[in-house]
Amino acid sequence: MKLISSSLRQIKIPQVKLNSLRSKFILSFIVLSIVPMILLAFFSYRIYLGILQSNVQSYSSEVLDRVERNMGIYLSDLERVLDLRNDYYNVQFIKLSLAGDIEGNTKFTSRLWENLNSYKQLKTDLRDVAITTLDGVTVSCYGVFHTDVSQNELFQTLINRTAKEDTLAIWGPHPDWLGGRVFTVGKAIRGDYDNFLGIMSIDVDVELLDQICKNIHLGKTGYVMLVDDSGQIIYHPKPEMVGKSLSFLIGKPTFKEWKQGFDTMLGPGNQVITVKTFTPANWEIIGLSNKVELTGEMQKITSLSLIIIFGTIAALTLVAVFLAGLLTKPLKELQHSMGQASENLNTNVEIRTNDEIGQLGDSFNQMLRRIRELMEQSLLEQKKLRRTEMIALQEQIKPHFIYNTLDLIIGLLETNKNEEVINMVEALGAFFRISLSHGQEFISIREEAEHVRNYLYIQRFRHGDKYDYTIDIQEEILDNKTLKLILQPLVENAIYHGVQELEGPGGLIIIKGYSMDGQVHFEVIDNGKGMSQTLVAEINCCLRGVSTVESGKKFFGLHNVHERIGLAFGKEYGVTIESKLDVGTTVMINLPLMGTQNDFATNFHSI
Amino acid sequence: MADHRTFNWIILSPFLLLFCFLTLSPSSLTIVAKGKLTTTSDLPPRTRPIVIAVVPKSLDNPLFIDAKEAAELAARKQNVVLEWVAPFKVDPDAQVKVIEGLIWRKVDGIAISCSDPAKIRGVIAKAAAAGIKVVTMDADCPNSKRIFYCGTDNYKAGWACGEAMAKILTKKGWTAKKLNTAVLTGGIEADNLNERIRGFKDAVAAAQIKLNYKALLACNDDISTGAKVVEAYIKNHPETQVFYFAGGWAFLGPAESMPLYQEWCNHGGIAVSMDTAFSVIQAAQKGFAQALVGQDFRRMGELTVNYLVCAVKGLPIPDKFIDSGLERADPSNYDQLLKTKKPWDVK
Repeated sequence: MKLISSSLRQIKIPQVKLNSLRSKFILSFIVLSIVPMILLAFFSYRIYLGILQSNVQSYSSEVLDRVERNMGIYLSDLERVLDLRNDYYNVQFIKLSLAGDIEGNTKFTSRLWENLNSYKQLKTDLRDVAITTLDGVTVSCYGVFHTDVSQNELFQTLINRTAKEDTLAIWGPHPDWLGGRVFTVGKAIRGDYDNFLGIMSIDVDVELLDQICKNIHLGKTGYVMLVDDSGQIIYHPKPEMVGKSLSFLIGKPTFKEWKQGFDTMLGPGNQVITVKTFTPANWEIIGLSNKVELTGEMQKITSLSLIIIFGTIAALTLVAVFLAGLLTKPLKELQHSMGQASENLNTNVEIRTNDEIGQLGDSFNQMLRRIRELMEQSLLEQKKLRRTEMIALQEQIKPHFIYNTLDLIIGLLETNKNEEVINMVEALGAFFRISLSHGQEFISIREEAEHVRNYLYIQRFRHGDKYDYTIDIQEEILDNKTLKLILQPLVENAIYHGVQELEGPGGLIIIKGYSMDGQVHFEVIDNGKGMSQTLVAEINCCLRGVSTVESGKKFFGLHNVHERIGLAFGKEYGVTIESKLDVGTTVMINLPLMGTQNDFATNFHSI
Repeated sequence: MADHRTFNWIILSPFLLLFCFLTLSPSSLTIVAKGKLTTTSDLPPRTRPIVIAVVPKSLDNPLFIDAKEAAELAARKQNVVLEWVAPFKVDPDAQVKVIEGLIWRKVDGIAISCSDPAKIRGVIAKAAAAGIKVVTMDADCPNSKRIFYCGTDNYKAGWACGEAMAKILTKKGWTAKKLNTAVLTGGIEADNLNERIRGFKDAVAAAQIKLNYKALLACNDDISTGAKVVEAYIKNHPETQVFYFAGGWAFLGPAESMPLYQEWCNHGGIAVSMDTAFSVIQAAQKGFAQALVGQDFRRMGELTVNYLVCAVKGLPIPDKFIDSGLERADPSNYDQLLKTKKPWDVK
């Protein structure tokens, strides 16, 4: 069991996803269409089957009535012939025959032969017309012969009747002495005192039954047969069945049991059996219809119905699928557009209809438009804010340096060092030209290096030979862009908090620039006084934004550069500092490797 | 036929019948045939009466009425059951069926007047194979398995007719003329009738009388047809001078139905007919025929039954031909014969 259950668990039954609106719509549509149709088909089938069975039974009864009527008419014709049985010549023949008067009976015999043959000619199915005397002498169309009356059922029937029972008697099919099969009808001939003298009988070819019954069809294979009162088949379309017991055909144990209590029943082999009694002969006229034919007709109707039902179901399914697609397609498009909008707000839903879904799409488009407006507005405001901040930060740099430089120039002018003033003013001019840069935020590394060089020229002029400096920037990156004025504050710190603090000359400031791992790295190295590790940690904390406002003011230069880089390129870029007390300080900048002027114009135009 | 003429069994037959009765006993049966005695004591005893059936050509032929009556009387004497069965009208096929019916009913003996030997021959063989004794009467079925034939020597009957015709024509002095002659027969194929015609022609020729046989008419043994055929022929051939009737069919109906023939007779037409039935003699009395030669049907019926019973009982039969004799009639004995005959129809 465990094995089976585990195997069953391993079988992956495909799950039909019915949670989509489309599937639900299709399913609902089909169910609502099919259920009434199936109910209608079922009840229609039952009702039609009932009507058909009723019609078959009614038709069978009518057919049997017709057979009975035809046989009745035929028998009544024969009865009229038999009513001539008390003709003078007949009675005389019998009397003389019973008296043994051969000579006297000769002329009556001839007369009877003529009469009986005349009767025989009345109908083509008559094989013989005869008069049989009490002692078995029979005069018929074929002469005079003797009959064993004890074996003659008709004779025995009539002789045992009273004079009041002057009705027709019938002896079922039996062979006549000429080798044919006949059934015999007859009536008793009685004398002056109602004494039984003999019988008049008519042999009828059983072909008559065939003529009456053979053209009567109940369906394609249904037929009519006749059964006598002992249950023996006396007529059947298949001659080999004649003479056999009905139970051989029907399968009931006894004929009496079989025929009791019904006019119509369903017999073995799905046969619809209809029975009618032919009273004069006490024969049963039995109509057998094949129910398979009946159901065959029904099968045609059923097949047609099923074709219509399945065709309708298929059509309805297609219609349902089409309608579901028609209805859910805008929704799916809306869903798809919403999905795209989550990644790209520039998406718009295509509106094809004016229904609720179209209105929803329109609302969504309006929402997207509003979001885009808000985002553009927000971005613009951000840019404005950042630019404002940037300008403010840059503006914070300029006055401090300008005042000091102007003081230096004033000192040179006071000492009439005009040459130096000129150089100083040129350097200062170049310094400011790069600082301004026509309002551009980004300049080439070459310009940034030139800017620092001008600055160092000015400052060294002020501070004398107390320190020296080198600028070592890779040639390959000189044309790449960089945020402007990021080296000058650091160099300024290296001067004032580094080499300026040294007691004697020998200070050195090294400015390096190189590219590595897709980034541009600048290092401002001085061999000044250096800083304690505590101070370094404090500065780094300030740069990471975890320090107080006071710290920002305290380390203004570093903080300014770091903030600007962060604003321009992101928080992963910025300034870090390493320093050892009495050894020196190294300030490092990492920036993204920006392109040249052309690249920059393409990539950073919007910033 | 030659041996038929050699022995006159008519003389011997009563003695033979007496012999049959005397030798018949329930415990011991002795068969005598052609001088040889055969003991059949080992045959099983009968449990039912002997049933024999006579099958004439048809029931509507009144010539057989006398034969039937005589046969029934003989059967009663023999203590056997006699049946008289046949198709109502001449119909060889129907006659075959009737005989087959008798075979089916297992009668002991059958006597047949064959309407068509070719058709009857087979059913005779079938009956014989079934152990039924079969004989023929009136009209034979040569080369069949019948035991004997009882009837008239038809050639002799025809010869007698020819002799009567020759006598009449000689008396009228018409021997030198070649007379236009018509013949009425029952069926073209009937052997007995053809024998009569042959005998008639031979006898007339032997008398040096020349007849110009212009027509052979057939009536299929039917009474009304016989009258119609004769009337029609006389109407179309009034030059006819002589008429030979191989059977009396034309005279078995009412004479009033043949006015043209009657007129022909009144104008000197000469006719000789077979058969001496009551109505035929009556017609002859009215001038419809100058002479009649008849079979003795009573005797034929009686002899047929008696010898058939003998055959059934295994007793000897004198010959394969039992002659029932001839009956000659002319105006001199018409009245006498009518006294012994019975009309066949019921008026």
